Amino acid sequence: MGALVDAREINGSDLIAALRLSQQAPGLLGNGSKNTTPSSSSTGTAEEYGQIEQLFLACLRTGDDQSAQACLDRLSLRFGPSNERVMGLQGLYQEATAKDRSALEKCLKGYENILSENPVNVPILKRRVALLRSLNRTSDAIAALIQLLDAIPTDAEAWCELADLYQAEGLGAQAIFSLEEALLIAPNAWNIHARLGEILYVGASSPDGARLAGKSVQHFCRSIELCDDYLRGFYGLALASSRLLNTDYESPSDSTAPSKQTAERLHRFALQRLRDIVQSRAVDDQHWASSRSELIAAQALLNRFEQTP
Amino acid sequence: MAFQGTEQTILRDPALFYWILFPISVVMILTGILRHYATVLMNTPPKPPGTLAESRERHALLRGVNLRNHGVAVLDRESFEMRKNYLITGFRNGSFLKDPNNRGQPPANPMTDPAGMEQMMGMLKGNMMMMIPQTLIMSWINAFFSGFVILKLPFPLTIRFKSMLQSGVMTRDLDVKWVSSLSWYFLNLMGLQSVFGFILGSDNAANQMAQQMGMANPAAMMNPMQPGQDPDKMFLSEAENLEVMEHFCILDGVEERVLRNFAPEVN
Repeated sequence: MGALVDAREINGSDLIAALRLSQQAPGLLGNGSKNTTPSSSSTGTAEEYGQIEQLFLACLRTGDDQSAQACLDRLSLRFGPSNERVMGLQGLYQEATAKDRSALEKCLKGYENILSENPVNVPILKRRVALLRSLNRTSDAIAALIQLLDAIPTDAEAWCELADLYQAEGLGAQAIFSLEEALLIAPNAWNIHARLGEILYVGASSPDGARLAGKSVQHFCRSIELCDDYLRGFYGLALASSRLLNTDYESPSDSTAPSKQTAERLHRFALQRLRDIVQSRAVDDQHWASSRSELIAAQALLNRFEQTP
Repeated sequence: MAFQGTEQTILRDPALFYWILFPISVVMILTGILRHYATVLMNTPPKPPGTLAESRERHALLRGVNLRNHGVAVLDRESFEMRKNYLITGFRNGSFLKDPNNRGQPPANPMTDPAGMEQMMGMLKGNMMMMIPQTLIMSWINAFFSGFVILKLPFPLTIRFKSMLQSGVMTRDLDVKWVSSLSWYFLNLMGLQSVFGFILGSDNAANQMAQQMGMANPAAMMNPMQPGQDPDKMFLSEAENLEVMEHFCILDGVEERVLRNFAPEVN
């Protein structure tokens, strides 16, 4: 059961954990099917089915389509193929196993059929957006997502996706707006604060740069305040505060931006904490295996600032 | 009233235990379990919105509430004012309503409105589930076991408990320690909650399970509107709430705060 507990801790971008989980899939599914005949399949708890769903996603990511199919069968046996969430997963499976573009187009057509019957099928609405995006029809994806958000404006996940799409299109202001909406729904999400800081930092090369850089610093600070060993927050804070130091701006006119002296101190603070984090995590290498790339990037940043103090 | 210092003794047939006390308890437990599963079976999950516009009507209010509660944590003055104005205008114009043309008309009668009807049906079913077994068992006990004294409590109680413990036995002088069969039924009815919790797992485990997969998106299922409430009125009052809001931002001065709290040594 230890493996099943792990399943919940999987983080979306953690490939190593996903791989490890999917390697256990045949064992987990095999054990289950021995004592889970269709008649007693209703005995599982909510968590177990949540874990099967996680397993399904992990298997798809690692290319174990057979196990994924088994997971999907298990879920649709329990909840029926007309369950919205199962429909979404079914669509995900078809997309993942689609051989070529025409197969994906067929998936899209399938989604549209489903939506014409029930226009508020949220998982399918989201799949449609993701599929449009993977077909490189970004503007269609944005339009579909806006339609979804118009109906359900309290979905933080969708706002984040919209921000990502806008950012990919180079529409910084719109991306910032979307992330702010997401933050209004989940005001204590330090990762979204940091992400907003990143987008503001990217936008800070525009003429309005100083103000955006100031806001970016603020959001990174908030992110650190909420989670005091968040590597991404410190990384961003180091970059954003150095940008603030390098731009010549007049602080009296803009009261919200931090003063030059504060920026200097923040910069030093961020670098110091980055150094600490890199050192402590390098020791415990196995535990932080999934974020190794982040550590390498942080080290590179430190080296860069040490060469040009 | 019993004389002080003397102990009332009543000779009870031990068969009373096997034929009254025990059956009543078992029947109560079994009906409790049965009722639980019947409720699960007949429970209808809340109806999801049928159209996008309906969904928007349900969520628009939450958006205003979110802005009021969380705006301070995120937004600077400019973007806060922008959102505030947008929402207030939207609420005032009724552009978030499912059916802007129907605005100002009295809400549909819940008796004729199918959605309201369904909700009332659900409540009715829940009530029936409580009422019918209770009536049946109580009349069963009244018919077969009324008037028996079946139990003696091992501790004394004050006279006030007499009506609670000795319903169905009209004896003025009986000590309060004695419990009648009808009272035993009532005690079971009120006191078996923890037993059910033990048998059925934490009270509503099965109940939540049935809905778990349906809740693909808990936010999408939520319906802040009660049937019969006029969303337009709620929007207008929310607009008023937003209007009187004063903006401040916890991001102001966050840099100094972080430096002070996390990096005293850098100063």
